[in-house]
Amino acid sequence: MIPFDMVEPASLQEAVSLLDPQEPTIRPVAGGTALMLMMKSGVFQPTRLVCLHRIEPEHARITLVADGALRIGAMATLRQVEKDADVAARLPVLKRAMRTLSNVRVRNVARVGGALAHGDPHMDLPPVLAALGARVAIAGPKQSREMPLEDLYAGYYETVLEKNELITAVMVPALDGRKAAYMKVTSRTADDWPSLGVAVSFAMKNGTISDPVVVVSAATAKVTRMKTAEAALNNAAPDDASLRRAGDAAAEEAEVLSDAHGSAPYKRELLRVYLRRAVRQALDGSAE
Amino acid sequence: MMTTARTIAFTLNGQQVSTMIEPHRNLVELLQRFDLFGSRESCGQGLCGCCTVLVDDVAVSGCLYFAVWVDGKSVTTVEHLDADGTLSPVQQAFIEAGAFQCGYCTPGFILMSHQLLKEHPNPSDDDIRHYLSGNLCRCGAYPEIIEAVKLAAKR
Amino acid sequence: MTEAGRELPRLEARAKVTGRAEYTHNLRLPGMLYGKVFRSTVPHGRLRRIDTAAARALDGVHRVITGEDIRRLIPEPYYGPAFHDQPILALDKVRHVGEPVAVALAADPHVAERAVQLIAAEYEELPAVYDEVAAMRPDIVVHDMLKPAGTFADLKHLKGRTGTNVALDYHLRRGDPDEAFKSAAHVFEHTFKTQQCLHVPFEPFVAMAEPADNALVIHTSNQTPSFVRTEIARLLGWPENRVRVKVPYLGGGFGAKVYVKLEALVAALALIVRRPVKVALTMEEQFYVITKHPTTFRIKSGVDTDGRIVARACEVFWNGGAYADIGPRVTQKSGFTSPGPYDIDNVRIDSYELYTNRTPAGALRGFGIPQLVWAYESHTDLIARELDVDPVAFRRRNILRDGRPQASGTAMKDAAVAEVLETLAARMGWNDNQPFDHGGGAIRRGRGIAIGFKASISPTTSVAIVNVSADGSAVLYTSTVDMGQGSDTAYAQIVAEVLAVKTEAVRIVHPDTDVTPYDMGTLGSRSLFHMGNAVRLAAEDALAKLRALAAEAGLPEGTNYPPAEIFKKRFGMQAGNVIGAASFMPTYKSPDPQTGLSDNVTPFWMIGGAGAEVAVDTETGAVRVEKLVNAADCGRPINPAVARTQLSGAATMQLGFTLSEVMLLDGGQVTNASLADYKIPGIRDIPPMQSELVAAEQHSGPFGAKGLGESGTFGVSPAIANAIHDAVGVRITELPITAEAVFRALRQQAGRPLEDA
Ligand SMILES: Cc1cc2nc3c(=O)[nH]c(=O)nc-3n(C[C@H](O)[C@H](O)[C@H](O)COP(=O)(O)OP(=O)(O)OC[C@H]3O[C@@H](n4cnc5c(N)ncnc54)[C@H](O)[C@@H]3O)c2cc1C
Ligand code: FES
Ligand code: FES
Repeated sequence: MIPFDMVEPASLQEAVSLLDPQEPTIRPVAGGTALMLMMKSGVFQPTRLVCLHRIEPEHARITLVADGALRIGAMATLRQVEKDADVAARLPVLKRAMRTLSNVRVRNVARVGGALAHGDPHMDLPPVLAALGARVAIAGPKQSREMPLEDLYAGYYETVLEKNELITAVMVPALDGRKAAYMKVTSRTADDWPSLGVAVSFAMKNGTISDPVVVVSAATAKVTRMKTAEAALNNAAPDDASLRRAGDAAAEEAEVLSDAHGSAPYKRELLRVYLRRAVRQALDGSAE
Repeated sequence: MMTTARTIAFTLNGQQVSTMIEPHRNLVELLQRFDLFGSRESCGQGLCGCCTVLVDDVAVSGCLYFAVWVDGKSVTTVEHLDADGTLSPVQQAFIEAGAFQCGYCTPGFILMSHQLLKEHPNPSDDDIRHYLSGNLCRCGAYPEIIEAVKLAAKR
Repeated sequence: MTEAGRELPRLEARAKVTGRAEYTHNLRLPGMLYGKVFRSTVPHGRLRRIDTAAARALDGVHRVITGEDIRRLIPEPYYGPAFHDQPILALDKVRHVGEPVAVALAADPHVAERAVQLIAAEYEELPAVYDEVAAMRPDIVVHDMLKPAGTFADLKHLKGRTGTNVALDYHLRRGDPDEAFKSAAHVFEHTFKTQQCLHVPFEPFVAMAEPADNALVIHTSNQTPSFVRTEIARLLGWPENRVRVKVPYLGGGFGAKVYVKLEALVAALALIVRRPVKVALTMEEQFYVITKHPTTFRIKSGVDTDGRIVARACEVFWNGGAYADIGPRVTQKSGFTSPGPYDIDNVRIDSYELYTNRTPAGALRGFGIPQLVWAYESHTDLIARELDVDPVAFRRRNILRDGRPQASGTAMKDAAVAEVLETLAARMGWNDNQPFDHGGGAIRRGRGIAIGFKASISPTTSVAIVNVSADGSAVLYTSTVDMGQGSDTAYAQIVAEVLAVKTEAVRIVHPDTDVTPYDMGTLGSRSLFHMGNAVRLAAEDALAKLRALAAEAGLPEGTNYPPAEIFKKRFGMQAGNVIGAASFMPTYKSPDPQTGLSDNVTPFWMIGGAGAEVAVDTETGAVRVEKLVNAADCGRPINPAVARTQLSGAATMQLGFTLSEVMLLDGGQVTNASLADYKIPGIRDIPPMQSELVAAEQHSGPFGAKGLGESGTFGVSPAIANAIHDAVGVRITELPITAEAVFRALRQQAGRPLEDA
C-alpha cells in the first residue's frame, strides 16, 4: 500500500470537519475491511484516512427505542449486531443474515456504517435492512438528514452521501408481526459473493399478503425495490400461482447484469425461483 | 508523500512493547518486525485466515488490519499458545487428528478454533463450519480439522 | 515391520501448530532488497520501450532492472525444463498478460510497489491466440522459432522449427484402429473440454538470492532444488558447485513450484545489485506464473456386440500457454494413458502441446491425468448408458486386469485397477440390489463412479545419504521437498525400519544442494517410490557398514548390538560415524518414435477412482455433492493416516476444479485473479467423504509402497458428471460444472433453451 496519513478524531463533529467535500482521496474509515481491499488493489489511494474508532461511544450502541424500533449505531461491529439479544428476539432475519455475511474475523471488525456506505450491490446488509423498512441517519457539517435505506444507493458502488457526510445510525422499525426472509444465492462455492440476493417482508391479513416489500441485490447494479413484484403479491394468497406471478414480475422488472456469478438470463431465472422461496421461508420461518 | 510514523504501545504475547510504525502498514508486517511469522499473508483479502491474529482476544485478519490500530490493545499470536511449554488443547488436537499438511493455514485455523471454543465450548457441526468458513485450506484438511476441533472441545 | 506402516503424526507437527515451521517466506537477510515485478498488460506484442525514469526517481528506490540489464549479465537469458523459451524478464516480445517485464528494487516493499506503478511500457500489439485447437493453425505464432532444451530425445525434431505453435506431438499406434472401427457394432464419439485453473499454494511463490564468496545462495519455495541448481549454473555459465539452493518447508506446491519459477530472476537481480534480493509474489500474481492446461479431447470408441471396447481413438490438445514449462512432458507422459484403464487392442493417440497467449501451463496434481480421466470416464459412462449396461458392469467387462498390457505395451503390474473399482462399487452400495433413490420434486439425485490411472515419471534418479552418529541417532540427507505430503516422516519411517530404531530418532536435513544429494524433483508422486527406495538402500548401506564396524570391533557376528555400543567398542568412546549412501534409478525404455510403444514405460502405476452421489436442484441447476468416496492403490502405505489425508486432500482440490474453479479471460487478461473471484472449496463445500486405500503391494517399492499424492484427483470430475447425468439426464462435457451450465442443459433438454447472455 502507498503511504498516507491517518487521523483519529475524538468526536463525530470533528470527524466530519476533517473530511473534505471536494477531495476524494480523504475518506472516513470504520473497520477498514472494505477500504483495505480497495487500497491493496490500487483502486483507491488515499492521502488521508479519518479513523472513526475514537468518536463518541454512543455511535457504537444498539438501542431499543420506545416503539420497538432498533437504533443501530454506525460504529457497532457486525458481530455486535449478530450477538445482540434484541436483534435476535426482534429481527431474527437480520441475525440469520449475519451468519453467512463474510466471516467471523471480518464481522469482528467491520462496522455497520462501513457495510452500508460501501455501496457494493453484492453486500447483504442493505437488502435485508431495506426490506425491513430501515432508515439511515446521516450527519454533515451543517445539518443531519435521514432517508429510507434504499434511497442511499445511487448506482454501482455509488451512494448519495456527500464526501463530508457520515452515516451515524440506522433505524429499523419493529416487525410488528410482519414476516421477513432473505435469500443469499451463491453459485460457485458456499461462501461467496451472491449471484442474487432477495429480501422480502410483508404482513399476512386473512390469509393474504399485505403491504409487501421486495428487494433485489447482487444481480442488479444497486439494491432495488421491485415495485411490480410487490404489486403482484399485494392482497394475494401465497399460493404457487401468485408466487410465480410475482417471480415473473420481478424477473421482468429487475435490470439484471451478467458477471462471473452468472449470465443475466440465468440470474433472472434464479430471481423467479428465489422470490418464491423467500416468501415461503418468511412464512414458515425455516432457514433454507 | 507525507506519512507520519507514530509510536504505538501494546501488549504482544503478554509483554508490553512499543515501536514506530506508519499508517500504511498492516498487522502482519508489524508482527514480522518482532520476528513472528505464524501470522502470514496469503490471499491478502480476509478470506483464507492465514494471517489470523487475536486482538483483545478477538480474531482479526492481520492482512486487513492497520498496524496502528493495536495501539493500547493486547495482541496474541499463535506463537503464544504454548508459552508455558505445553501445547494448547487445540494445538494438541490438531496434531492428533492430523489436521494439516503443508501447515501454512494451520495457525489461522487454530486461532479461529480458540475463539470458537471460547464462545461455544460444545460446538455443533454447524458452529464449527460457521466459525471456520472464513479459513481456507488448499491442502484440503477440512475433515481432519473438524475432527480436531471436536477433539479439543472434549478436553 | 514396526516403523514402516506405523501411523504417527508428522515429525514437524509441533513446529507447524505453533507457527514456527520454517518457510522461505519467513526469511530476511541484512541489506536485502525487495523486488516487485512490473508485468505486461498486453497478451502478445513487441516491446517497443520501457520508461523507468519516474520509478527510478522515487525516494527509496534502489534500482529498476529490465530484460536488457539481465542480458548484459546472462547473454542467453532463457530458461525452461523442456524448451529454453522463457526469458527471465521480457526481451523483444511479450507473450501473455502478466509476463514479467521489469523489476523495481527497494528496501521497503511498499516503495518497490509504488515504483512499479510508475513504470510505463509501450508495445506494438500483435494478434493473439488463446484456444488450443485454434493454435493448431499457424496464422498466429507465439514463438518465432522453437528452442527445445536438448535433454529430451522426443523434442529433438522440433529444434529450429518456425511457423508452428506445436511444442510436442506425441503419437501412439497399436493394432489396427481403422479396421476395428469399421467392424465395430457401435461407434461413439464425443468431445470434452477442461478449463484453465490454478494450483493456489497458500504460500505464494517466493525466492531470495544472496551473493556469497564466489558463489550464489538461493533460498526458495521450490519442489526441484537440484534442477534449479543445474539450470541457474547453466544460465550463468558456472559450475554447479557455485550455486547453492536451499529449500525449507513449502506452504503447498501441487506442481506449481517445479523447475525454475522465480529463481533465475532473483539470481540475476542479486548478482546485478550485489545484495540479497527477495521476490515474494502476491496471491494475484500467482495467476501469471503457472496454471493447469485447458484441454480439448476428442475421443472415439468402437464397441462389439458383447460390450467390449475394441478400438479407441484419442485426439488431445493441450493448451500450454506462452511458455512450454513442463507441458511437453505432460503431453507425452500422460498422453499414452489417454484411452483409460481399459483393455483395448486397437488404439490411436494423437496428443499435441500448443503454445498460446495465456499464462503458461505446467504440472498440477496429476500431470494431465485428471483432464484425461474427465474425458474417458465421461465417455465410458455415456457408452454404458447408450448400450443400457450398468456403468460398473461395463467397466468390469473392459478394465485392464493385472498382467495385461496397457496401450503403450507396458504390462499392468501391481496395479489394483479391479480392486479400486470394486471398492468404489461396494462403498457406493452399487452391489446392493436396492434401487437407488432418485428423489422427486425439484430435487433429483444420482450417482456415478470413475476410475483413472497414471504412470510415473521415468527415467529419473534419486540419491540419499544416511548418517548414523556415534550415539546411534541418524540423520537423513535428501533433496526431496516436504510441501505437506509428509515425505519427511515417511522417509524417517523407512530409515527407522531398516536400522531398527524409532522413527522419532531420525532427523531429516532439508534440501540444501551443498549438503543434500541429487534428486530429480518432488513431483508426479515419484518421491516415495524413487527417493524412498534410495533412502532404504542408503539405510541398508549404513547398516552393512555398522555390521562391518562391529566385526572390526571384534563383536560376534549375528548379534544385535545397539549402534552406540558398536561405536564405543570400536573407537573407545562416543566417536565416529557411519555414512550410508545410495542412488536409485529404475529401468526404462523410451517409446518407439514411430509407434509410441514401449514395454517398460513406467516403474509403477498409480490407480485412483471416485464415486459420487449428487442432488441436483432442477429449478436452478445447483449441484450438491452428498457423498464422495475416494479409493486408491498406493501399494502398502508407509503411514496410512497421512496417506488417507493425501487422498481426501487431492479429492477436495479436484472438487474445486470440478465445480467452481476457472480462470476467466477477457482479451487475454485474467479477470478473476484473486481468491475472492477464483473460488476454491471452503469448509462448507466439503461433502461427507470416505477415503480408502485398497489392500495392495508394489513389489518394487520401499516396503511395498508407492506414490499417492495425485491419485485422489483422478476420478472426481467424471464421477460427478456421471452422477448428474444419472440424476437429471443431461451431460455436461466442459469443466467447471457450474449451476448455470446444468440449468442450461436442463432447459435445452426441455426444448426451451435459455437465451445467451
Ligand atoms: C473476506 C470478506 C468477505 C466479505 N463477504 C461479505 C459478504 O458475504 N457479505 C457482505 O455483505 N459483505 C461482505 N464483505 C464486505 C464487508 O461487509 C465490508 O468490508 C464491511 O462491512 C465494511 O465495513 P468496514 O467497517 O470495514 O468499512 P470500511 O472499510 O472502513 O469502509 C467502507 C466504506 O464505507 C465508508 N464508511 C465507513 N464508515 C462510514 C460512515 N459511518 N459513514 C460514511 N461512510 C463510511 C468508508 O469511507 C469506505 O468507503 C466481505 C469483506 C471481506 C473482507
Ligand atoms: S491473508 Fe489475510 S485472510 Fe488471507
Ligand atoms: S495445510 Fe496446507 S493450506 Fe492447509
